[in-house]
Amino acid sequence: MMKTLLSICVALLLPLQAVAADAYVPKVYGKKGYVWDEMTPERVEVLRLGGDPVKGKEAFRGCRGCHKADAAGVREGVYPRLSGQHTSVLIKQITEIRAGIRLNPKMLPFVEDPAIALEEIGDIAVYLNQVESLRENGKGPEDMSAKGKKLYFANKCDTCHGKNGEGDAAKAFPVLAAQHYGYLMREMKLIETGARGNSHPDMVKAIAKFSQTDREAVADYLSRLPDYRTLAK
Amino acid sequence: MKHNYKSIGRCLRTLGVLIGMMFMPMTSAWAEDAPAPATEAAAPATEAAPAPEVAAAPAGPQPLEERLQLCAGCHNPDGNSIIPENPKLSGLDAKYLLRQLKDFKSGDRTNDIMSGIIGMVDESEFKDLAAYFNEQKRSEGVTEKPELAAQGKQIFDEGIIGSAVPACSGCHNEDGSGTNKYPRLNGQNPVYVANQLKNFKSGARKNDPKAVMQTVAKRMNDAEIEAVAEYIVTLKEAQ
Ligand code: HEC
Ligand code: HEC
Ligand code: HEC
Ligand code: HEC
Repeated sequence: MMKTLLSICVALLLPLQAVAADAYVPKVYGKKGYVWDEMTPERVEVLRLGGDPVKGKEAFRGCRGCHKADAAGVREGVYPRLSGQHTSVLIKQITEIRAGIRLNPKMLPFVEDPAIALEEIGDIAVYLNQVESLRENGKGPEDMSAKGKKLYFANKCDTCHGKNGEGDAAKAFPVLAAQHYGYLMREMKLIETGARGNSHPDMVKAIAKFSQTDREAVADYLSRLPDYRTLAK
Repeated sequence: MKHNYKSIGRCLRTLGVLIGMMFMPMTSAWAEDAPAPATEAAAPATEAAPAPEVAAAPAGPQPLEERLQLCAGCHNPDGNSIIPENPKLSGLDAKYLLRQLKDFKSGDRTNDIMSGIIGMVDESEFKDLAAYFNEQKRSEGVTEKPELAAQGKQIFDEGIIGSAVPACSGCHNEDGSGTNKYPRLNGQNPVYVANQLKNFKSGARKNDPKAVMQTVAKRMNDAEIEAVAEYIVTLKEAQ
């Protein structure tokens, strides 16, 4: 049964190889009528397979050119920090980027099959969840964390993203703490406008009433929170 | 004459055939364009493996030492080619070398010179040739354009964020020493490196298994390609 599922996945992905060979002409992105957390066959298969961090470290080599060797990304936030992100979130994002649901033309050719095989996705996700970033993340231009903190709790962001910005692994809600300010700013905008493709509808509502300065304050607050893994210790 | 063929571009493989024929008329059928007759003609040629009549280039498999004399003419005996267009083969991963040789043979990778040469080499020799060049020590190189190389360092180490070119170091390592998945680059001849990047960009070379190098090169302009090639030649393997 699972074998069949796998072969269906592989069969579905085969035409993409041809696209990858011609490279960098992105297909049409975003999926109209996206149902939050709808399981794609690929995601089901990746979750079933699990992951091996040692293999994941090797497979991640093809990602280091942008996300850096310690998965810290770049301070300006063009490339997000991936270290410590929940395995479930990483798998959701990677499979949805591969499926063309989440828009990411810069990265797609490097994560698409066959650049990354289905079996490697879980490996990478497990590895990234454990890896420690050596470099500091990018913060906002001025400390607005007091205002940001108020907004974060007043708008119930914490119900999904946690009291310490630690997200929720079981529900695939992302970690936000210690993420780059620039990346947080961009994603809030992309989620609000729907350009990201795969957002939670309640999150879209929560963010809709935010002004530019509200976004700046929340992003700054979150970027100044410590890595949630250091709190658990 | 060689130059004319180059400029025509589409006749790359024909030159290969010509070079092949100069040495050995029979196996040149390997490189011919029409696929069906080529395989038919090639099969008896290898099977029969007739007693060598041309002493310079006998048919069939050759002992490694003798075959290396052919390669040495262009790649140097130790694989550290001094001809700018020809790659250094020294220290390249054996599997990478093996696949390149097979791809030249099958036509998945083409080059007016190497495609002709490979017609003379029996597939059974590839493994030993790959192992031999893998064991050679990569020589160090120098750049004649240090200013360009300095710009290239930035691209190699950090990539180009604006056009989403990932850092080369991410895959090929900071010192260019590579891995079993990503080939060694340190000390490589800059003319060869720039040629390859331009070929990946145009699609003239498309045997990179995951098409990742085509994606990388398509995001680069010629000035960036020249710069990174000048930096790569200066890379020395970290101890
Ligand atoms: C060419 C540069 C590039 C490469 C190579 C690359 N990425 Fe990315 N990645 C990006 C960019 C840019 C984003 C942010 C996109 C956005 O703003 O939505 C991103 C986002 C992500 C995200 C989403 C993070 C989040 O918090 O939602 C994940 C997961 C990810 N990348 C994993 C990978 C993996 C795994 C690889 C290697 C197989 C890889 N990336 C290779 C550029 C790259
Ligand atoms: C109902 C749950 C929910 C609420 C409430 C919510 N979010 Fe989210 N948020 C998500 C999910 C889920 C994602 C990941 C997108 C996806 O895959 O669907 C996300 C993504 C994000 C991201 C991008 C993170 C990344 O790594 O790409 C930011 C930033 C963010 N949320 C900020 C906020 C803020 C600020 C609030 C409060 C105004 C908020 N969220 C409220 C569920 C929620
Ligand atoms: C007449 C000169 C010539 C001879 C003889 C020659 N080569 Fe080459 N070789 C080249 C050139 C030129 C290239 C670069 C091809 C290109 O630009 O794509 C090359 C490329 C290669 C490559 C690809 C290296 C890489 O980094 O991808 C391999 C492997 C190779 N040669 C092996 C050999 C072997 C083994 C022999 C001996 C059997 C040999 N060559 C004989 C000229 C030659
Ligand atoms: C995502 C991983 C990745 C990144 C990033 C990357 N490369 Fe590569 N590169 C490869 C792979 C894989 C090959 C092998 C292709 C093959 O096997 O035919 C390769 C091959 C090459 C070759 C051919 C080597 C030879 O001997 O013929 C050159 C030159 C090269 N890369 C240069 C670069 C430069 C310059 C950059 C940065 C601008 C770069 N690469 C970035 C994966 C990568």
